[in-house]
Amino acid sequence: MSEDTWTPRRNKSLLDPRTKLLLIFVEAVLVLATTGGDRLFAFRVVFAILPFLLLLTAKRYMTCIVGLLVLGSIYFLEYTVFPYANGALASILLIIIMIINRFLPAYLTGVYVVGTTTVSEFKAAMDKLHMPDALTIPMCVMFRLFPTIREENASIRAAMKIRGIRFGGGKAGKMLEYRVVPMITCTAKIGEELSASALTRGLGKQKKRTNICHIGFGWADWAFFLLVAATVIYWILGVLA
Amino acid sequence: MIEFENVSFTYEATPGQKSLRDFSLSINDGECILITGPSGCGKSTLLRLLNGLIPEFYSGETEGSIKIDGNEIQGSRIEDQAGRIGTVFQNPRSQFFNVDTTSELAFGPENLGLSEGEILDRIGQTVKAFHIGALMDRSIFELSGGEKQKIACASVDVLAPGIILLDEPSANLDYEAAENLRELILCWKNAGKTILIAEHRINYIWDLADRVVIMENGVLTKEIQRDEIGRFTEEDATRYGLRCLERIDPTSLVKAGKEAAEQNRKDNTIILKNFRYSYDKRQELYSIPEMKIRKGKVTAIVGANGAGKTTFLESICGIRKNNGIMEMDGIAYSGKKRIGMIFMVMQDVNHQLFTESVLDEVLISQRSENEEEAKKILSDVGLAGFSDRHPMSLSGGQKQRLALACAIASKLPILLLDEPTSGLDLLQMHAVAEILNRLKEEGRTVITVTHDSEFIECCCDDVIRMEEAQHET
Repeated sequence: MSEDTWTPRRNKSLLDPRTKLLLIFVEAVLVLATTGGDRLFAFRVVFAILPFLLLLTAKRYMTCIVGLLVLGSIYFLEYTVFPYANGALASILLIIIMIINRFLPAYLTGVYVVGTTTVSEFKAAMDKLHMPDALTIPMCVMFRLFPTIREENASIRAAMKIRGIRFGGGKAGKMLEYRVVPMITCTAKIGEELSASALTRGLGKQKKRTNICHIGFGWADWAFFLLVAATVIYWILGVLA
Repeated sequence: MIEFENVSFTYEATPGQKSLRDFSLSINDGECILITGPSGCGKSTLLRLLNGLIPEFYSGETEGSIKIDGNEIQGSRIEDQAGRIGTVFQNPRSQFFNVDTTSELAFGPENLGLSEGEILDRIGQTVKAFHIGALMDRSIFELSGGEKQKIACASVDVLAPGIILLDEPSANLDYEAAENLRELILCWKNAGKTILIAEHRINYIWDLADRVVIMENGVLTKEIQRDEIGRFTEEDATRYGLRCLERIDPTSLVKAGKEAAEQNRKDNTIILKNFRYSYDKRQELYSIPEMKIRKGKVTAIVGANGAGKTTFLESICGIRKNNGIMEMDGIAYSGKKRIGMIFMVMQDVNHQLFTESVLDEVLISQRSENEEEAKKILSDVGLAGFSDRHPMSLSGGQKQRLALACAIASKLPILLLDEPTSGLDLLQMHAVAEILNRLKEEGRTVITVTHDSEFIECCCDDVIRMEEAQHET
């Protein structure tokens, strides 16, 4: 029965793609760039924990656990080793702690967003935001090319291993060239074939394109907006005071 | 009705050379036409003229007229033909705009601005006709080459075009996947579509064609009508430089070297032990407790699915982590130790060509650079005049031979090949077979994964079937 029939699936991910865009923005501003200083500390903690919860809702347990382990070991370093370190070691530790503390939540948000958004959903979101096709179509293709680039990269690395091309022997410069040149030619070729195939299937033919995927705000989106609004209001109050 | 009238075409990239010369052909509605001929004969050019990729993607100079249902099509844009002409391309990896299969099927109709209900109806119909329910709502990156090609066909089918073009659709498919493709083409034929297929590998669709067009150097050399197709013999095919006409399942050719198995002399066999691979605990891709390979022979590995065989080769040469052991001359080599003693030519040779010239490519493969020897190797594989060309500017068959030249230059004792003849015409397939026979004379061991029965008969001594692992679902 399953070979011949298909019923459209209606299970959307928890958040609307537009909310996800806002989420990335907030993570970048609040956690990565630590805008707002100490006053927003409590909010920053909430937004640092948020990506882990989202990964759980998307069933990405492994990523979540690895992320927690990394974060855990960083806190361990910060509270047990760092106070006793001095000199160069202290500055190195400080840099590592700072970088991981700030980047990890934003990085995990990125993993969550890319992993749970289909190209169609993204396109639908951009259309609802009235973004022009000239901007959204290249972004869609980029979305599509990321995994391809990863695949190509793995194949090229394997090929180099076979050919015995490795670092050292004064070939470091060549290494980069050997790695990058086939990568660019392969990816460019795939990109070109991709657009040929898309055009033969009518991409760009109609001004108004249909999109069968439904996006819309749900309770989770509104909850998130409330949280962001609360953060912004609290921050403005602080600035005014 | 499609009419080519005295059409000539020259690609801008090769100004001195006409890819089509004074070509005329008319195709009736509902006909299934197989267009074949050696590489560079102009069969792909023909399809590109129809779907509009010429001149938008490949510029050049066109003469003559091309009409569909009486209307001249030159000057129309690619996207205008969507819904009228559908195209299935060669490379299953690069035809998808989306990452999930369902969006991919919806993509074409969405572009045409059809209503949502209509789109869902059409997807439902295509799923039913092609029996692809199990492939829906999946990520493109999880699919095998054959499954990707099915989705590519399905995403053309949902647009309901009257004319369907297929440009070497089986080039990257194994035997079974090609058989599945045949079913889809048959499905279109029964639905009364006009079908044009450009192919080297003609056997899987030979008996489906209403007419066969053979081309060479841009000229139509032979047209075989429906009633003559059955009388066209293998000898005729060879005379026109075509691949074989008969469908032979490569697993029916299994002939493991009997003498080797009986004598079991350790000094002339390589024993592969304990090779297994699984994506996860439930699904094993393959499991090989022991496999014996005769040294100094060419062994073909057939059967199972493409992914399994490729992974197996990667495990043998050590670029994929595994616990398999290779015994040779009484020494056991683990995966790590095998790196650097085995050369592998990948299915997509583009990943393996790094340098700026053909000669450099051979030079970096040598243990110590020796230009004279490198040039000799190049002339041996028939690339004598190409020393200064950029590897990426070569044709598919030439790239394959260049990769083999690198293998020869490396002087490594064992050589692995992954589908070395995919997309090659008769002449180039013979060239590859000849190189393998030479390597054998030099005492090297060649293991090749292949689905190409004709190639196996040309140069393989032993044929081993790799069993499909038991799938638990």
